[in-house]
Amino acid sequence: MTDRPIAATAHEVEHVRKRERRFLFSPWHLVLIPIAIAMLIPLVWMLVTSVQTLNETRQYPPTLVPHSIQWHNYSDVLRLAPFGRWFLNTTIVTVTVVIGNLLFCSLAGYAFARIKFFGREVVFVLVLATLMIPFQVVMIPTFLIVRRLGLIDTLGALIVPNLAGAFGIFLLRQFFRTLPVELEEAARIDGASRIGVLFKIVLPLSGPALATLAVITFLWTWNDFLWPLITIYSPSNYTLQLGLTTFQGAHATITNLLMAANVMSMIPVLLLFFVAQRYFIRGIATTGLKG
Amino acid sequence: MQARKVLQSDHVTGWALAFPAVFLIVIFGIVPIIWSAILSFQRTNLIAPPVWVGLENYRALPKDPLFKTSVAHSIVYTVLFVPVSVAGGLFTAVALNRKIRGVRFYRTAVFVPVVVSTIATAIMFLWLFDPNFGLANWLLGKVGLGPYGFFDSVNGALYSIVGMTVWGWIGFDVIIYLAALQGIPQELVEAAEIDGAGKWGLFRSVTVPLLGPATLFLVVWSTINALQLFDEVYFLTHGGPGTATYVVVFYLYNLAFSQGIAGYAAAMAYVLFAAILALTVVQLLIGKRTVYYAS
Amino acid sequence: MKRMWLIAPLVLVMLAAACTNKTSGSQSSGSPSGVVHLTMWMGYTQPPPVSQSYEYLSLDSLVKEFNKEHPNIQISVQYVNSDYALQKATVALQGNKQPDISYQYGTNMPQLAGAPKLVNLTKMVQEPGFNWNDFFPGERDVATVGGKVLGVPALVDNLAVVYNKTLFAKAGITPPTSSWTWSDLMADAAKVNDPSNKIFGLAFPADGSETTVWEYEAMLWEAGGDILNSTNTKAIFNSPAGVRALTTLQQMAQAKDLYLDFHPDAGKSEELFNSGKIGMIITGPWDLSSFPNAHYGVQFMPSFDPGGSHQTIAGPDNWVIFNNGPARVAAAWEFLKWFTATPQLLKDSMATGHLPTRASVETQPGFSQFGVKYPGEGTYAENLHNVLKARPQIPQYPRVSQALGQAIVNVLLGKGAPQQELNAAAQQATGFLAVPQ
Repeated sequence: MTDRPIAATAHEVEHVRKRERRFLFSPWHLVLIPIAIAMLIPLVWMLVTSVQTLNETRQYPPTLVPHSIQWHNYSDVLRLAPFGRWFLNTTIVTVTVVIGNLLFCSLAGYAFARIKFFGREVVFVLVLATLMIPFQVVMIPTFLIVRRLGLIDTLGALIVPNLAGAFGIFLLRQFFRTLPVELEEAARIDGASRIGVLFKIVLPLSGPALATLAVITFLWTWNDFLWPLITIYSPSNYTLQLGLTTFQGAHATITNLLMAANVMSMIPVLLLFFVAQRYFIRGIATTGLKG
Repeated sequence: MQARKVLQSDHVTGWALAFPAVFLIVIFGIVPIIWSAILSFQRTNLIAPPVWVGLENYRALPKDPLFKTSVAHSIVYTVLFVPVSVAGGLFTAVALNRKIRGVRFYRTAVFVPVVVSTIATAIMFLWLFDPNFGLANWLLGKVGLGPYGFFDSVNGALYSIVGMTVWGWIGFDVIIYLAALQGIPQELVEAAEIDGAGKWGLFRSVTVPLLGPATLFLVVWSTINALQLFDEVYFLTHGGPGTATYVVVFYLYNLAFSQGIAGYAAAMAYVLFAAILALTVVQLLIGKRTVYYAS
Repeated sequence: MKRMWLIAPLVLVMLAAACTNKTSGSQSSGSPSGVVHLTMWMGYTQPPPVSQSYEYLSLDSLVKEFNKEHPNIQISVQYVNSDYALQKATVALQGNKQPDISYQYGTNMPQLAGAPKLVNLTKMVQEPGFNWNDFFPGERDVATVGGKVLGVPALVDNLAVVYNKTLFAKAGITPPTSSWTWSDLMADAAKVNDPSNKIFGLAFPADGSETTVWEYEAMLWEAGGDILNSTNTKAIFNSPAGVRALTTLQQMAQAKDLYLDFHPDAGKSEELFNSGKIGMIITGPWDLSSFPNAHYGVQFMPSFDPGGSHQTIAGPDNWVIFNNGPARVAAAWEFLKWFTATPQLLKDSMATGHLPTRASVETQPGFSQFGVKYPGEGTYAENLHNVLKARPQIPQYPRVSQALGQAIVNVLLGKGAPQQELNAAAQQATGFLAVPQ
């Protein structure tokens, strides 16, 4: 590839600027704006409901414009419920599970993707099989196993069974296979071990896949409800989702506070997603191919 | 020398790398599955001591009209949901895979439905598509269409659920495809453009084949989940109106936890499990032949 | 660098496990001379929810009072959403982590009945001074499964017609009297119904769940019918009485005076009623707090014939005791005896608006202001005397209910005629009754 002369004529500079400007006002906006609106409507409704008074939430059809804005709903939730404790518990559990998945699913995903070992296909299908039965059916035996390990009513019950999931293994296996195997073979010829190849060659090229796994695992662990419901008893060990049920009273739901709490619990995931975007940059994958 | 060769052999390395994850999955995934197989041979409500009934639960399944209805609904739902959400995810990801102003915002917006809780989504959709008071019929009325029953109509409820779940999950397909699109080498794209391929030709002969692994993943994943549809039915329609949206997992959940017939529910879960397993294996085998991996 | 990957998650796991406190002492049986600690599961949320605050505060203050007066029995209360109480108890029982006392819906009793650790209270409720018969008959029927008393009534309600006074006035109708009939109700619904303004006469749950079925069952009993025969071996709701009740609903549906609510759990009917879009709703006292913006009145269910029965249906819930050893069972019974005694019930009713579970509460002088303090509840309290029957407390009931529910929905949707649908459902239900569960 010959290098272009850096010095450009004024004409070329202007041409490039025009193209950049077209980028910024691309016609794609016409497609994306309606899609974005359709996707955001429930969030808008949640935000509106979260600043209404309780009486306003009992109207039907729902009012999308609140009569008054009750910002104190948010501080009420924080003040009157141990929101901070729930947040801390959920964070500890979620971060640990995400790290565990990133690590264990990378190791296993690489093995399934590149290493031909005895029983590989059968074990892979076995791993996938764990996705094929509804959780409600297996939750009691899982509870009994976790109880035998003495983890009931600890955060460990929420962490240990979820440290490696079939989702991560399947996802990474697929992605590792799309990487050019020549790079890995070259490194092995140079004497690198399999693990060395994984950590030094494959993982650095897998930014988008790892970011995806992190975000999705984060989301699922953060929002998990049924498992914490049956394994956690002490309020001090409550996760966010469990804590939210305390806004659902015996007979009626405190919709406005529930929505305020819901909005607050959505923020970390959305923030993580927004930040993880930088790993979705084209260019990491191509650097390995030149030379 | 021999020992080192064995230790370095692929079989040992492969197992060593896979072991931690597989170990965890076997203990917390496979063992409970086998344990609950025992349930399917019992009559139990999970509270009183169980009674052994052998294959009676399995024999009762083909005679159960509600089971057959649920299976039909699950199949219709899956056949509609998987192609629409995967294809929709692909096109949306392609639209989002460009450096235009605000693309980060658009991507987050598309991802929001995945993050919103099912309860909030259900309440929202119940209002939007309320036959009498909802926004949808109001808008459709302005262009002379409708009113439609949506979730309250016996014929339309299942399709309405398809629509709602596509909306709720398409962000997931998008995020997977976006990650996969990053892996398409620029040289291939440029080479095709030099060869004179138009946008559509480029898409068809370069992009789509190279997205094969991601597509296989999404098709398998979406199928496994679609056949186990539960949350949306539970929070929105409760299987109704009538039994119009009864699906297999909703039926077995009711049997086990509302009606105390857990053994029969476990048998139903196992039949579903076998079907999903068989279907997945078929999909993976087809994928082996047709999916192109960069190596 | 490599080793960090392996160590970090292990450290975090250990941190997490260590960081958390396990509950202690919930399974210790407590020495006879020492303090007995009991755990009690209940579903009332703590403040700030305004309408629910009173329930939690009342229970909390009563428990605190008991704890103070009984230093050797200490109750600690734990919130468990009542919708999930059965599921959570099921799992807990499997792992021997059950509480001592738990709040359970009356409909959960047949399933719980088989639990070996559920305490049989039959002899205990016959103790002198407990006055088991002071509890209303409908409640006692629900707490009894297979001849054994397995719970103490915790809460009672019943169904009555809540009507919108403003809409009635606008339509020029006089409010219903306690001797009104279904013909009166149908006429009222027709007058209030105003399609051009999207106002409906009567809301009716149409999802085929127990919410649909139990409203119909009240009508079935009023018409003189029954769900099952006396030995619970045959479904008899397809009697002429059953057909009459279902035909009344069919006529209203055909006249389009009904708002068919396919999502009763979502609270749509309540919100619509509160917004003045529905004239009448058949519901219980728990819903009154959902109508802050509507001027409502409460009236007994109408009878089918003039001067006929105004029977209604109740959905009582129970406190159950789980066996964690004789000392704790005895202590739990001490608490429940005190907690459900007339003076405490009076305090609770006046503080929360709960209907009294014991008939003797209504004759207490302190009760006279109940109907004034809680508008509409006075009628519900009187209506308790109209609760004469209960749903069969057998494990097959949910399946029977499902069959009946489908029949009702089919008729409301116009997909079938009452006699045929009820016949088909009765046949199916009788089949379910024959299957042991």
